[in-house]
Amino acid sequence: MLTQIVNRLLISIPVLFGVLLLGFGLLILVPGDPAIVMAGPTATPDVVDKIRAEMGLDEPVYVQFFSYLGRVLQGDLGRSLISNKTVVSELLAAIGPTAELMVACLIWSVPLGIALGTLAAVFRGGLIDRTIMAISVAGVSLPIFFICLMMIQFVGVKWQLLPFIGRGGPLWTVDGLRHIALPALSLGAIFIGPVARMTRSSVLEVLKLDHVRTARAKGLSETRVILRHGLRNALIPVVTLIGLQAGYLVGGAVVTESIFSYPGIGRLAVGAILSSDFPLAQGAILILALGFILINMIVDILYALLDPRVQT
Amino acid sequence: MTAATEQTEAQVLDAPMPVQPWWQRLLRDPAALAAALVFLAIVLCALAAPLISPHDPFASSRAVMQPPVWAEAGNWTHPLGTDGQGRDMLSRLFYGTRLTLIIGVVSVAVGGMLGSLLGLLAAFKPGLDPWVMRLVDVMLSFPAILLGLALVAVLGPGAGPVIVALAIATIPDCARIARSIAVSVMKQEYIEAGRALGLSDMALFTRYLLRNCISSIMIFISLRFGQIILIGAALSFLGLGARPPTAELGMMAAQGRDFLLFAPHIAVIPSVLIFVIVLSANILGDALRDVLDPRLRS
Repeated sequence: MLTQIVNRLLISIPVLFGVLLLGFGLLILVPGDPAIVMAGPTATPDVVDKIRAEMGLDEPVYVQFFSYLGRVLQGDLGRSLISNKTVVSELLAAIGPTAELMVACLIWSVPLGIALGTLAAVFRGGLIDRTIMAISVAGVSLPIFFICLMMIQFVGVKWQLLPFIGRGGPLWTVDGLRHIALPALSLGAIFIGPVARMTRSSVLEVLKLDHVRTARAKGLSETRVILRHGLRNALIPVVTLIGLQAGYLVGGAVVTESIFSYPGIGRLAVGAILSSDFPLAQGAILILALGFILINMIVDILYALLDPRVQT
Repeated sequence: MTAATEQTEAQVLDAPMPVQPWWQRLLRDPAALAAALVFLAIVLCALAAPLISPHDPFASSRAVMQPPVWAEAGNWTHPLGTDGQGRDMLSRLFYGTRLTLIIGVVSVAVGGMLGSLLGLLAAFKPGLDPWVMRLVDVMLSFPAILLGLALVAVLGPGAGPVIVALAIATIPDCARIARSIAVSVMKQEYIEAGRALGLSDMALFTRYLLRNCISSIMIFISLRFGQIILIGAALSFLGLGARPPTAELGMMAAQGRDFLLFAPHIAVIPSVLIFVIVLSANILGDALRDVLDPRLRS
């Protein structure tokens, strides 16, 4: 088990390197002088010169890359042009809320998706199956911003059930829970469809296998057969799916956070880009990519834990 | 078994199988038929936008936030009402759909082509395989929306950077699927036969490999189309895609956000239209896959 985890970590190194290269590439690709971009449009020539010297922009590109790597590894991502705080402190303040949002989203949508998918598989071909599958196709076709807007329009404004702006506090406080409810419901809504579809086809696959027939032949109740022998084995592909969908989770969080003014990394990234705060945008994008890699790594390790046959 | 049944059995076996063309089988499914008609209608409206738009999509009028015709205060001058600047919604929808579809089609086409080429090459030249797959792994670690954010951060907001980002984001998935399809095709005997005949690599690649993989790859691309439209619309909604005054559906929905209380139609109609486009594309993609290549179903 330990070797598998170590192997998985080793595999991530080239990917991490690639992501850092891209983060660095962002700066090189910027049209115009990177020092001016980093310093912002209002900077004086002195400041620009200082930044140019700091970043070693007169050095060859590969030297610049290694000095960039060195700075990133030391946790130096520069300063925000707008707030003048360090990028790292801005990111640290936003990581918690984003992680909370993702947890709050997955905690209700994945079990619900699994339950719906299992129901659809059990009643295959029937009305329940068709309804659930129709809902899930519709669900994956809905723009996430539309779900958010409808949540605000109805739950937030018309019925005044829940707040729809900002964050109330940590997840374990009542206010925190009330504030995270609408963003988490909106973000989770796009997850139910894919999870339900994957669970359905995976349960159908497993129910055909010999051990399920044996379980039925032993005279176990149908519920027990499906839950203990069917669903349990069918969950493995569902875990992989969550890894594959991690991109949507990250992307969805960007949109959801922006619409609900939720102070996470996604909103930080969009705000920084729209206000041309380049260092902050670069840092936020880097952190989002790292988060995405981390989710995939956790999923792979979980996968190996769940399925002893997997040898990574 | 009697002689009579034996004879009929033989007749049945000898009779040519009634093979329907794929599109007939596709259109027999009522959901697929409906999706095809809706999608076709939307594409035609988008293509004919300059001809059928009742008003100039960029011209403001005094009738600001006028509701659609089915609401009490609505009228037929602006059948779907007007937006916050008094611009005709229907005309903007025609133009907006056009830009939304262009962003989707161009990025899926370019990204799909490059990705397939990479995947096919990886399967065709095993020496290239590890390099291509590592590249794909790194590309996969940048989800589409992040690529979009990154490119917009560098190039500034606009439809161009969004198209480039979505095209790049399509490459790795497509490369993976093309490679897995091509690997199984490469094991077929006709490839060996082609080699034995002394065909050049180029001929083997285009005539044998490419032609046998292309339909499966096209199906995969059609399944991706809906997702790409959604990501493009989301980027425009955030203000990172198409720039005003051009019309794009995601951006139109964003512009309606401030008027959600008084004039919900400004945000709702473009959002519903995106939903209908993506839904019909998804249904059509699923049906195409079932008809042409059930192996991809997993």
